[in-house]
Amino acid sequence: MSEHTTTEAPKSGGPRDLGLVAHMVRYEQLFFWVNRIGAVFTVGFSVVFLVLLGASAGNSRISYLGNIKLVDYYVPGFVAYGVMAAAFTTLAVSLVVRRETGLLKRLRLSPVPAWVLIAAIFVSTAIVAVIQVVLLLVIGRFGYGVHLPTSIGAFVVVLLVGIASFAAMGVAMSTVIPNQEAAGPVISIVFFVLLFLSGLWFPLKANSGLAKFSNLFPVRHFILAVSAPFGFQHGVSPWAWHDLLVVVVWGAVATVIAVRRFRWSPRRS
Amino acid sequence: MPAVSVKGLRKSFGSLRALDDVSFEVETGQVFALLGPNGAGKTTSIEILEGFTGRDGGEVRVLGIDPGDRHAQRWLRTRLGIVLQELAVEQFITVRQVLERNAGFYPSPRPVGEVIELVGLEEKADAKVKTLSGGQQRRLDVGLGIVGHPELLFLDEPTTGLDPAARRTTWDLIRRLSAEGTTVLLSSHYMDEVEALAQNVAVLARGRIVATGAPSSLGGRDRGRVTIRFVLPDGAIPAALPVTPSAIEARAVEIATDDEVAVLARILNWAIERGVELSGLSVTRATLEDTYLNLTRSDTDEPEEEEGR
Repeated sequence: MSEHTTTEAPKSGGPRDLGLVAHMVRYEQLFFWVNRIGAVFTVGFSVVFLVLLGASAGNSRISYLGNIKLVDYYVPGFVAYGVMAAAFTTLAVSLVVRRETGLLKRLRLSPVPAWVLIAAIFVSTAIVAVIQVVLLLVIGRFGYGVHLPTSIGAFVVVLLVGIASFAAMGVAMSTVIPNQEAAGPVISIVFFVLLFLSGLWFPLKANSGLAKFSNLFPVRHFILAVSAPFGFQHGVSPWAWHDLLVVVVWGAVATVIAVRRFRWSPRRS
Repeated sequence: MPAVSVKGLRKSFGSLRALDDVSFEVETGQVFALLGPNGAGKTTSIEILEGFTGRDGGEVRVLGIDPGDRHAQRWLRTRLGIVLQELAVEQFITVRQVLERNAGFYPSPRPVGEVIELVGLEEKADAKVKTLSGGQQRRLDVGLGIVGHPELLFLDEPTTGLDPAARRTTWDLIRRLSAEGTTVLLSSHYMDEVEALAQNVAVLARGRIVATGAPSSLGGRDRGRVTIRFVLPDGAIPAALPVTPSAIEARAVEIATDDEVAVLARILNWAIERGVELSGLSVTRATLEDTYLNLTRSDTDEPEEEEGR
């Protein structure tokens, strides 16, 4: 007994905890990629959509959006989709499943501090999102000749803001879904309806009724914020401040809900 | 210093009194069992000791630390092993990978290979968790509980759902950990398990401790009534017996008594004098199961419920 009955608590925090975050991130990544269904649904979908829509778009242009090429419209749209799919849908579904099956409770009972777990989940989500973005940019660039964002700074800022805000919305969403059976269908329906209304597949006219309704939600704003740094339309600023602000406000409200409602243990009847 | 000390513990969930003035102590190095029907408060007690659930009142010390103290919790958890019920393990990675992940949580973990061998999962070490049978998953649960080299191990119904051979393997493992100096607090509703493993036991019923002690003396079963049974010899009538039986069914006689030596002597003398056989003669003391059922009797009429959490 005596060999491990020390009375002094070791110091927490500092480099050891960062090491622990890295340790957790490695395994979070492993979980994500070995679960092929999740990986295909997230990364595969955005790639397949872009490839198919890009191929069908050909050389069409959108007359009511400054006559830009349709495929130029799709690349930032699917970059935004990729970020939202990883940060919102995948995160929300996986949190519900992990909560309801007891995986979160098990982690909570380990010596790993809550902030390390949360940080690891966020970092891992961001890694998946960034991998997707890179993949989509490469396909857009080499498959369809779409040029890369002209304002890299604005593009990176928009991505980071988007990942953080949609991850917060994903966590908030997970707290209102009662069980794992409902998680996939409910979250996907919410997401796809918003995507549809946001003009991801069919570009919206700026002042249409649909666009106005869609403007209440963060999805369309995020797509527009991601598009701006590409500089397809002359004279348009790479910083879509207004759109970015809407995304941040949604993220902030979601953070409040997430912090208040987050639970580690399953809901049992 | 006891490994666990609980005094006057109280906990309610809404109007449900889950724990009411619960007190017990677990000595360092002991195997201690919490026994009780479903809904008695076993899991709630264990979750309070782990610091996962708060308490409404009472004193609790685990390895000298108050588990409700958030600042001490992390330090406490590096020294605890926790095996709860119904918690999944990541399904798509291998047994070895999940053990390696959790080993990384602790300052001085047990080598993963040793854990795999201890819980008998050698042939499944590189199989995905989802391919394990129910019993193998339960053994992996135990493996995850001991990978941190805990001083104190909580086992919430460690053998529920295991086949007899796997139960024995788990018992051997618990004995081995105990011999190494690990304190074990287990909950169970299997009497044989408690009798085989625990030095001390507390019986919980409806949130209260109804008995504590060594399994052999629980509820006074070492001193209490014994039952003498035999078959009434041919030609004898019950009225001819020197002692009034408590029950007779199809010539099977049952005599319950506190004074077994004197009663037995009279019956044996009677049989010898008449030169008759007493076939099926037996003298039995209350089993742990009898004692347990007696102690928790009021609960058995109620529908079984999940432990409140």
